[in-house]
Amino acid sequence: MADPVSASDTAATTALSLRSLYKDFGGTRALDGASLEVTKGSIHGLVGQNGAGKSTLIKILAGLHRPDGGTISVHGTLQDHPTPHRAESLGIHFIHQERLLVPSFTVGEALFVGQENLAGTTRLLNRRKLQAKAASVLRERFDIGLPADALIGDLTVAQQQIVQITRALLAKPSILVFDEPTAALVKREVHVLLETIRRLREQGLTIVYISHYLTEIEAICDRVTVLRNGKDVATVDPRVTSASEVASLMIARNVTELFPKQVIQLGEPILKVKGLARSPAFTDVSFTIRRGEIVGLTGLLGSGAKELVRSLFGLERPHQGTIEIDGAVRSIPTPNTAVENGIALVPEDRRGQSIAADLPVRENIGLASLRRFSRLGLVKRKREKAHSDRLIERLGIRTAGGEAPVKSLSGGNQQKVALAKWLSRQSSLYILDEPTIGVDIGAKADIYRLVGELATNGAGILILSTDLIELTGICDRVLVMFRGRMIGDFGAATTSGDEIFDAVTGAGEVQHVG
Amino acid sequence: MTVVASNPPAASRREQRPARQDSPRLRRLLQYGLMIALIGVSAFFALMSPTFLTPANFGSILVNSFALPAIIAIAMTLAVGSGGIDLSVATAIDLASLAYVSAVAAGWAFPVAVLAGLAAAALTGIFNGLLITGLNITPFLATLGTLFIGRSVQQVLANGGNPVYLSPSKLSTAVKFLAHGSFLGIPLPLYVVGLIALAAFILLELTIFGRSVRAIGARPQVAYFSGLKVRRDIAWIYLLSALVSGSAGILLSSTVSAYIPYSGNAFLLNAIGAAFIGTTLGARGHANIPGTILGVLLLAIIANGLLLIGWNFYWQQVGTGVFIFLILTFSFASKRRQQG
Amino acid sequence: MSVSYSAAAVDQRSAFASGETPARPARRPVHRSLLRTGSLLAFIAVFVAFSLASPLFLTFTNIATVIGQSAIVGILAFGLTSVIIGGGSDVVRGGIDLSLASNLGLGSAVYASLIQAGYGDATAIVATLAVGLSVGLVNAVSIVGIGILPLLATVAVMNICSGLELVLTQNTAISVSTPWLDLLSGADRFGIPYLAYAIGAVAAVLIVALQYTAYGLRLYAVGEHREAARAAGLPVPAYVVSSYLISGLCGGIAAILYTALLSGSTTGSSEMLLPVVATALLGNVFSGRLLPTIGGTLLSTLLIGFLANGFQLLHVSSYWVSGIQGLLILSVVAATSLARRRRS
Repeated sequence: MADPVSASDTAATTALSLRSLYKDFGGTRALDGASLEVTKGSIHGLVGQNGAGKSTLIKILAGLHRPDGGTISVHGTLQDHPTPHRAESLGIHFIHQERLLVPSFTVGEALFVGQENLAGTTRLLNRRKLQAKAASVLRERFDIGLPADALIGDLTVAQQQIVQITRALLAKPSILVFDEPTAALVKREVHVLLETIRRLREQGLTIVYISHYLTEIEAICDRVTVLRNGKDVATVDPRVTSASEVASLMIARNVTELFPKQVIQLGEPILKVKGLARSPAFTDVSFTIRRGEIVGLTGLLGSGAKELVRSLFGLERPHQGTIEIDGAVRSIPTPNTAVENGIALVPEDRRGQSIAADLPVRENIGLASLRRFSRLGLVKRKREKAHSDRLIERLGIRTAGGEAPVKSLSGGNQQKVALAKWLSRQSSLYILDEPTIGVDIGAKADIYRLVGELATNGAGILILSTDLIELTGICDRVLVMFRGRMIGDFGAATTSGDEIFDAVTGAGEVQHVG
Repeated sequence: MTVVASNPPAASRREQRPARQDSPRLRRLLQYGLMIALIGVSAFFALMSPTFLTPANFGSILVNSFALPAIIAIAMTLAVGSGGIDLSVATAIDLASLAYVSAVAAGWAFPVAVLAGLAAAALTGIFNGLLITGLNITPFLATLGTLFIGRSVQQVLANGGNPVYLSPSKLSTAVKFLAHGSFLGIPLPLYVVGLIALAAFILLELTIFGRSVRAIGARPQVAYFSGLKVRRDIAWIYLLSALVSGSAGILLSSTVSAYIPYSGNAFLLNAIGAAFIGTTLGARGHANIPGTILGVLLLAIIANGLLLIGWNFYWQQVGTGVFIFLILTFSFASKRRQQG
Repeated sequence: MSVSYSAAAVDQRSAFASGETPARPARRPVHRSLLRTGSLLAFIAVFVAFSLASPLFLTFTNIATVIGQSAIVGILAFGLTSVIIGGGSDVVRGGIDLSLASNLGLGSAVYASLIQAGYGDATAIVATLAVGLSVGLVNAVSIVGIGILPLLATVAVMNICSGLELVLTQNTAISVSTPWLDLLSGADRFGIPYLAYAIGAVAAVLIVALQYTAYGLRLYAVGEHREAARAAGLPVPAYVVSSYLISGLCGGIAAILYTALLSGSTTGSSEMLLPVVATALLGNVFSGRLLPTIGGTLLSTLLIGFLANGFQLLHVSSYWVSGIQGLLILSVVAATSLARRRRS
């Protein structure tokens, strides 16, 4: 439902016109009459929950999928045979989240591989020419002094992204599609990126910007289209429509119910950390988590929060200090020890560290608690299956059964499997690292509810997150780390988000005991 | 150029993937692929040669072309199941063989000689374990290194790689029984195979250790983060692989009454082939003992069948190679079609 | 930017989105270059050690001979290196060509048989090269077309080639000798064996092709990060196929040289496989980025050649050669993975 615009204007100024696209995959309808009209020279945002159809829409635009119905027009011309080659020749280029660059290539090589002629080389590849051209291009576009012989793998994510964008720009695109570009960036880098995108608009490019971060959408988009259940439900001006209205459009649900309100009786301390240090990452960290408490942990990159968690789970050894579990001092040299002591970790990197994608759901769920279903070293299949079925139901995991491989599940459901694994173990301390990243709204609510349940049942929870709303919504207290020190212990009920924000960014070292 | 992805990246941040189109008929075919291949091939040869389906022939296949390769393939399956590979099975075979034969020649009692052989094999396994878990070298390269070093060790210990023959007088009854005896009409070597296969099967499928190994084979990082003792289990696997290979070496030496240097090498490729055939064509999709056993059987039957229908010995090798190739083609092509 | 924290602002990253994990913060690649420098120093050290230990080592004739004798293993290793470049560093799942040794055996058998049957060198050369390319093509089709794991596909092809070789030779050596073959196995008037020229020439051509052309750069991209290569618009399967064709061709060239060196075909060519694999894998350590390169493989070929030669001159038992090779592989790999790990 685009805003009414006169027909003649449309033709001249529309860069992209996707009308009523339908797409089915097997039994699932991914797109149900979705439309997208992008004005030339504008930044057009695209938002929607996971599963709303954003990815499919973009893939169709990229020529990777054929729509089952609907039309696609690029620069006013109808397209009937979309292929990747076609998309490219029409000037549509994509900047993906993964920065698909070869890690062992130099910046120069990564910029020009596949389009070497743009570097001015003829028959033979002259690497020096390549690096020189790369350096000059980067300087002129971004005013960046990236050494052209630096290896991609040694660059930060933001730097890699610049290379990626430059690479696309070399091909003189007319439409650039940014797909979740800021997920791995720090705030300063996000600013730089948004600035860059604004500048690209000034240079006449048309930009499509896909993101989960509504603040960013608000900041740079001229228009934003909201997708829900495969259909576009609104196209609005984000400067007029508030982020919360947009969010509501995305999920068509009252969002305030997200965080369960409950009062939990706190028990004995389950975790007591005293003077823990592992230089240079963090020093002199002390805090306590009691049974039934949900504690948040947050901090910028380099604050030491991530490293603290690694030490708690036995991935690294702290150099000083003590960790007490249930009142007894413990040394935790490996994850195995941590697990034996009742500590559970749900890592941020789901595919790499949390779930075994090719193994069935049942095996994943039982992975940390095999001893529970076995006798004399032999696994009792039936018991295991019954248990996993129960958990599937309890957590509302949407799967084609316990034997389905976990990779066939959506992000939210995969996360639930990861949690189920530790539930089987009946751990006493759950450490959750960014538990709701890449999780759709429905699963998020489920996960928050589960966290509340776990706390009610006597476990202690530590949530590592950079989402202030999440932290203040679900946690009882929020611990803030800054440059390796724990500088704040805020009671969520009594502290404003601004105060926490200030502490995180280091605006004064405030000691709040909540 | 266009930055175009052909696959949904970073699944954890992506949306629900639409349900995969699964052809149940194809999946069924793949599961029983190995059985079908076995039956098909046997039927083919049964038709082409009257002697194929006789008990005498089958007995010969089982004892001569199946028993030893099966044991080694089982060893390989253990390694493959843990996500690695063991190229040094040949070394374990040879060193065990050397130790065993030397012990027998020196007049030691049969059980002691066996222990000596197994101990030699264990050394290989421990060495591999140290390389892989201690130095973090990938199994392919670690076991390759062991293979090279093992060759030198053999050359040094056996005087430039000379065989060691056992005179008949030195052969105790136990040795002779192991090599040529039978119990209830079934030759003893087959009992050895059966025992080892059964033990390995139980280990991989039914025990906690086996589950842990399977997880390690699928995703070692996830296993580590789930609190599993990854290093310990991998070390055990390579020790077990070496021990199993060692028993093959002992069996081999008993059968030929000698230690023949580098005899292990001949088994290596078939073991790899059988283990992977078992993995890809087996019902489970991961390395498994029954699949491996059937794989070895298939290879043995093909070799035997070609011999019986009168193919020139050298053409047999070609034939076997082509058969393996066809099986692999079928397996991978249909897997591809299933996923596409 | 206001941080609205009413529960309604879902998914709203707070302004300080720390993005805890920039994939890899900029780090100085000290360890990689250390490893490479270390290896080069080791190479030189070996040279110096042997020169000091034996007066026969550092002579022109000796060095030239060693280079010549390394030609066959070296060229095969070049073929394997090409495949590894195009297939990525994971040897089990990535590209590998185990059929090289039996490719050589078959090629050599073809050459010898043709000469024996009365054909000329020209025919034999063409035929041998054709055989090599065909083997490469079969590998390529099985791996790219059908999708068989390279490890398995090339093992199967290896089996078939060995079988065909046996059929041709009936498991005996075929001795042949033609003026051209004799010439090839000899030396020019400076005393440099033609085989040394051969390995030099093949190395030069491949180095240019793989390091100094767009093709080479793209092949590396395909091997190192398939997804990125695809995103860059490269036809990935075509590149993988080309790497196996190069490998097959190398097999053919090596077969011709082998036949010249041994005056015919023999039955022992399969022995070469493991040394070739070792050589190719060792080569990584000589490149600044710890990538497979032809130059690196050339250096490792020479290193192993000189080691064996040195041992011979010093009357060290040849028993130890295999073991030393193994230890070399292991140390190199351990060091490489250490250097790589520091990077991430």
